[in-house]
Amino acid sequence: MAKDLPKDLKDVPTEVIDTDLLIVGGGNAGCFAAIEAKKLNPDLRVTIMEKAHISRSGATAAGMDAINTYIPKGKTPEDLVRWSRSQVGGGPIREDLALSNAQNLNEAVEDLEKWGLPILRDEEGNAKYRGGWDISIHGEQLKPIMAEKAMAMGAEVYNRIAATALLMDGEKCVGAMGFGVRDGKFYVFRAKATIVSTGGACGLYKSYTSDATSSHHQTWMNPFNVGSGYAIGIRQGAEMTSLEQRWVATRTKDFCGPVDTVSVGYKSLITNARGERILQKHYAHLGGDKAPRYIRANAPMEEWLAGRGPTYVDTTHLTSEEVKDLKTDYLNERPSFVLFLAARGQDITKEPIEIYGSDPYVVGGHTQSGYWVDIERMTTIPGLFAAGETAGGNPNKFVGGCAAEGKLATRGAVKYMATVTLPELDTQQVEREKERVFTPLLRGPEFDGVSPMEMEERMQRLMDEYAGGTSQFYRTNEERLDYALKHLKILQDQVKYLYAKDLHDLMSAHEVVDRLEVAEVLVHHLKFRKETRWQGWQTRSDYPEMDPKLDCFVESRRNRETGEIETFTRPYEQIVPGDRYKP
Amino acid sequence: MVWDLGERLARTLDLEALVQNLARAKGVTRCEINGDLWSEDSLTSLKDDLSAGHIDRILWVGRFSPDRMRILADELHTAGLNPFLHHWLDLEEQGVLLDGTDRVIMNRKALSLLEMALARTRLLEPLEPLEVPATDAMLIIGAGVAGIHTAASLAELGKRVYLVEKASGVGGKVALLSRFYPRLCDPHCGLQHALDKLEASPLVEFHTLATVKSLDGSPGNFEARIEQRPRYVNERHCNGCGECVAVCPVEVPSAPEAPQELLPQAAAWQKITALLQPGRKAIHPAYPMAFPRAYVIDREHCPAGCRECEKACPAQAIKLDQTSEEKVLRVGAVLVTTGWDPYPLGRVAEFGYGHHPRMISNLEMEKLLGAEVSGPSSPGFSLQDLNAVGFIQCVGSRDERHQKYCSSVCCSATLKQALAFKEQAPAATCYVFFMDLRATGFNEDLYRRARDLGVIFIRERPTEVKVDTEGGNLSIRVNDPILGRPILVDLDLLVLAGGMAPAAGTPELGQVLNLPQNQYGFFESHHQCHPEDGQRTGIYVGGCAREPMNVSRAIESAHLAAMKALKFLEGRVLIDPTYPLVDKTRCDQCKRCVEECPFGSFGFDEKGFPTPDLARCRQCGICMGVCPLGVISLRHHTIKQEAVQVEAINTAFMGEGEPVILAFLCENDAYLAARSAVHLGLPVPPNVIFIKVPCAGAVNNALVADALSFGIDGVLIAGCQDDQCHYVRGSQLVKKRRGDLGEKLRTMMIEPERVRFESLGIRQSQKYVRLLQTHIEDLKAMGPNPFKI
Amino acid sequence: MPPRVDREKCDGCKAEEEPLCQQICPGDLMDLGANKKAYCRAPRDCWDCMSCTKVCPVGAIETRVPYQLGYHVAKLIPMMGTNTITWTCIDINGKVERFRYKNRTT
Repeated sequence: MAKDLPKDLKDVPTEVIDTDLLIVGGGNAGCFAAIEAKKLNPDLRVTIMEKAHISRSGATAAGMDAINTYIPKGKTPEDLVRWSRSQVGGGPIREDLALSNAQNLNEAVEDLEKWGLPILRDEEGNAKYRGGWDISIHGEQLKPIMAEKAMAMGAEVYNRIAATALLMDGEKCVGAMGFGVRDGKFYVFRAKATIVSTGGACGLYKSYTSDATSSHHQTWMNPFNVGSGYAIGIRQGAEMTSLEQRWVATRTKDFCGPVDTVSVGYKSLITNARGERILQKHYAHLGGDKAPRYIRANAPMEEWLAGRGPTYVDTTHLTSEEVKDLKTDYLNERPSFVLFLAARGQDITKEPIEIYGSDPYVVGGHTQSGYWVDIERMTTIPGLFAAGETAGGNPNKFVGGCAAEGKLATRGAVKYMATVTLPELDTQQVEREKERVFTPLLRGPEFDGVSPMEMEERMQRLMDEYAGGTSQFYRTNEERLDYALKHLKILQDQVKYLYAKDLHDLMSAHEVVDRLEVAEVLVHHLKFRKETRWQGWQTRSDYPEMDPKLDCFVESRRNRETGEIETFTRPYEQIVPGDRYKP
Repeated sequence: MVWDLGERLARTLDLEALVQNLARAKGVTRCEINGDLWSEDSLTSLKDDLSAGHIDRILWVGRFSPDRMRILADELHTAGLNPFLHHWLDLEEQGVLLDGTDRVIMNRKALSLLEMALARTRLLEPLEPLEVPATDAMLIIGAGVAGIHTAASLAELGKRVYLVEKASGVGGKVALLSRFYPRLCDPHCGLQHALDKLEASPLVEFHTLATVKSLDGSPGNFEARIEQRPRYVNERHCNGCGECVAVCPVEVPSAPEAPQELLPQAAAWQKITALLQPGRKAIHPAYPMAFPRAYVIDREHCPAGCRECEKACPAQAIKLDQTSEEKVLRVGAVLVTTGWDPYPLGRVAEFGYGHHPRMISNLEMEKLLGAEVSGPSSPGFSLQDLNAVGFIQCVGSRDERHQKYCSSVCCSATLKQALAFKEQAPAATCYVFFMDLRATGFNEDLYRRARDLGVIFIRERPTEVKVDTEGGNLSIRVNDPILGRPILVDLDLLVLAGGMAPAAGTPELGQVLNLPQNQYGFFESHHQCHPEDGQRTGIYVGGCAREPMNVSRAIESAHLAAMKALKFLEGRVLIDPTYPLVDKTRCDQCKRCVEECPFGSFGFDEKGFPTPDLARCRQCGICMGVCPLGVISLRHHTIKQEAVQVEAINTAFMGEGEPVILAFLCENDAYLAARSAVHLGLPVPPNVIFIKVPCAGAVNNALVADALSFGIDGVLIAGCQDDQCHYVRGSQLVKKRRGDLGEKLRTMMIEPERVRFESLGIRQSQKYVRLLQTHIEDLKAMGPNPFKI
Repeated sequence: MPPRVDREKCDGCKAEEEPLCQQICPGDLMDLGANKKAYCRAPRDCWDCMSCTKVCPVGAIETRVPYQLGYHVAKLIPMMGTNTITWTCIDINGKVERFRYKNRTT
């Protein structure tokens, strides 16, 4: 419904809400954080600030068909850490975070089952494992179940509010600000502790099916997770880690849907046009079919580049029972994939499922990009905690791990807030942010500027061609990265020309601005790591080998005085003994 | 606990095996066949188990009548078992003992039914009745004969009553009548006696010159805001001495000037009109009855600055500067007795009412008849001056162009008027022109007496009244059916017997009270078994506000309503604990429940979530049926409780080739028809398993989706006929929802005809059997449910 | 993947402030038009999570695959039960597949 849009900044009402714990992003981690907070202290005021509607927001909007990490009987949290470490080529990973997460993992998954999530079990009641660590579920209602629990526990939910900035008290975070996408108000949440759990950043790169027709958002990850959570911290000088370890995955081609469902769940091997089993043929020395994730992600792209494409997961051996089960799995996670197959009239026992790589994402639930956090999940900004995909250092979290993260971050936040008294509201800071937020909407009819869609398209092609997108088979080099930086700077300067025609457009405008923030930091990370450690996720064509001197974390921080991004390193610490490269 | 009286079940089913199967089910700690259920030992054993915590709910299997159920529930209540933790399963009524059906199938069916019952029993919850504090006052809108007599009865019972009347005095239309039939007595007699009692009672308050502006709150706790228009006279001080009238300089003209075309009859015009519209001063007694005693001023007629009455009043009762005031009344229930108004006869163009002084309405005739009693001291007109008076019946009534209905009293009223007239002018001739004479019941006597007095009855409706503009006479041309030829009748006075129309202000009052009107403009009523009841709980309509009726019926009707209202006048309202609950964590405020509740029972809480008014709610479950997310459930009859039953059905119990039907039967009519069908030994197909529901409208589409998705071949929803639904529109709503679902099924390549809605009356057992047979045939032709996967 | 709204069936959820599809869309893509019917303001931005399709009480929304990706016309229709969901999939050759599973245990 067309709302009466404000003509002037003073027409925009401001609402200030006080709370104890503010959770920015009511997704998987966010809901678990809220539930844990209310469990620890039912009298705590817990507020969720959500851009969409928590019942179906975030990565699990359509559901999930599996929980990718759940420690089976006979295995330990250390075993999980070892496996996770090997999956990212031996790390470096934050083993302290990984271990504490693994120790809280099973409890989080069992909570979900108690709340009504169907976990597939055999006759003896054991969970059905499809790989070493992942169990099958019928998770079409996964998000509603979590959201309802959060509401039932008494969390206050503010839906349709896009977060745009942290509320700062000097160096400390005391809440967040944003605007109502439906009601057009400016919101200020004052909180003793803040957890940012907005998921990862999608749409930094152009997805290869994005063009003038209806398939701009054929991405594996939720395209409405744009990295705002990262951006609001970056702007305040928070330290980020490992952004160069982008998440690129093998995906069904064109549709860009999950493939692990098939490749792991139904033992369908990756093949090329000649029917060769690629992983065995070319990557046996790295583990073959059990090679680290980035090898599996990159392999199809290498086949295409070498002229041996298309590439497939070989489903021709599946029985009709298995096909039905496979499709049921997809219906739980990405139902439209079944529609996609139907729209091609494809019988996957005759024509195997075609695969390709995806556009790169920054997502700390699969790789380890995100905020640098301490063991309590607090970022380098006091009062700001990160949970789920927004937190960095610990890859392979997935649904179960992000849930556990939510709990851990809350425990940290609750401990922290015991010492906090909120300062007076800094009205100047609020006014400044309010102006920044609403300016694109208040341009007036004569304004000659740039639409959010135009700027987004420019940024996405820039990143794709210069910062290692799909069209470049993920490859980049120093000169291209410098080019990218130069043009990103121009785009950031051109933000002053952005205009928005309604509140939805205003949200799109800020999504572009936030993405530019993350893209800039990402490119700095890619520049710093002058080696190729995780081919596909991070491929430097000018430094194709691994450099042992870079066996450490690459960090970044925006200097609040100069505004420049500084990059540096932190050392890796092995906690769980064993061969880093073996699970 | 299985109670197999006469071992009927054991004869057909492998009862022992079924019971053993059940005993192994999850949560079952005790399972037995008990032939001696009513013995001390048996009950004691149950009570012991309850106290020890071995069992906390009971599934009873057998034929238990309602009183038996109550006895067992009460007995076990003493041992601490909440009466809502029982589930009663009658296998027989589900048709497991039907002749000639395969034993294996019957056993499978019985097992399904037992598992269904068990599934529900697991989900039962203990419930406590709710008591909401309430007030004990009744609001009666309209202080006419029905309102006044009912107020007197209520006051006798110790209830407080507020009578709100828009006129300056009480009495309504009955106060305008000269006589009542059948005894031809004075209506003011009964009214005055009732008013004396009311005036003396501390429990009764009159508010005249008042109208109801808004009604908020809920049954038991209504808050009515009334607007009290200014009387300009202090009610407590004025004693009706009348000294003000003498000094009032304003004479509100009675007779308007005679219209041009009637100038030759100006004299007649003057006299009759003077009687029909007596002149009066600007200050005058209350009207139609001088009760309250205080006078009233028609301030619009006062000359500027005139304060004569104020100076003259010995009691200083005049308040010329009074303004409207708002009052708030807290009441438990509302009775609407706003009566009727005469149909505007001017609209019946063929007669020309209003253009001739000698053509009057039946209500106006009352004034003429009562003139020597209540009229001016020298009227200048006497009934004895009349030689021929005619009455035309059904003017504007039973007429497509005007009022389609019969007002039921006009014939008896005319007969009464003819008798009264003949009493005063025995020599005059009386004609009654009619279509049908509807003096029903004992009022036939009036007709005989009129005939005996020589009143002439002509069974034909005149279509034309001729007016002699010179002499001022009327004549009627009519075809006499007995003589077989047209006759011309000259008349001195013609009375048009018009009917009753809804009282002026009915639509506005309807808005305020949210009371719908029927197609004739009267307040809606159930009409059959609950004539006092409409769709607004706690608001009742009695008397002519509901339907044209005579005085004694109006009094009875209002009393019936008052009796039903008593439950809201007890100082507390008892709420059945089976009311609807909204799960606010999943509700997204789409407001469909609010829209579809036939009783307007939903309000909103401070966050905008729909909240049922428990005193208003009639627990029909239509909200539960319509909610797209299934977040509303009636307690003790929840969607989940039904869903687990649906899931427990063994969709293959009939074996290969035979379809399985799940029926949702509304407990008001359809269920009883189905139960009778088995009782009467009709050939009920064994393919059906039914679940009882409070109303067909309470069946949520998600349950139908469940049934189909689990592989049940056909779904039947049976309820009352559209216009007879006990909850007004449950059946209509099901049809609409079935349409939506049918569309979806079609796109899913499932035959929409698998899901059917049928109307079943309480004794339509034969129809039940036939429609099942048809459904089964059709399902066989369609093949098994494609979702039998 | 653009959601298509059947304007005959859509009643704008009684044209209350927010129809159910607009309430739930994670991308804020559904809106109530001037004709009091729902529509998708940016089909290119849809991620086809199908939340709108599942939630519509009158079944007025259908999810389609863009022609860039798949041919005309395949259908995937969810039917929500109380704790169960069924899907009917009809491919471009008219082949029908049906799926049913429990999506909640309580």
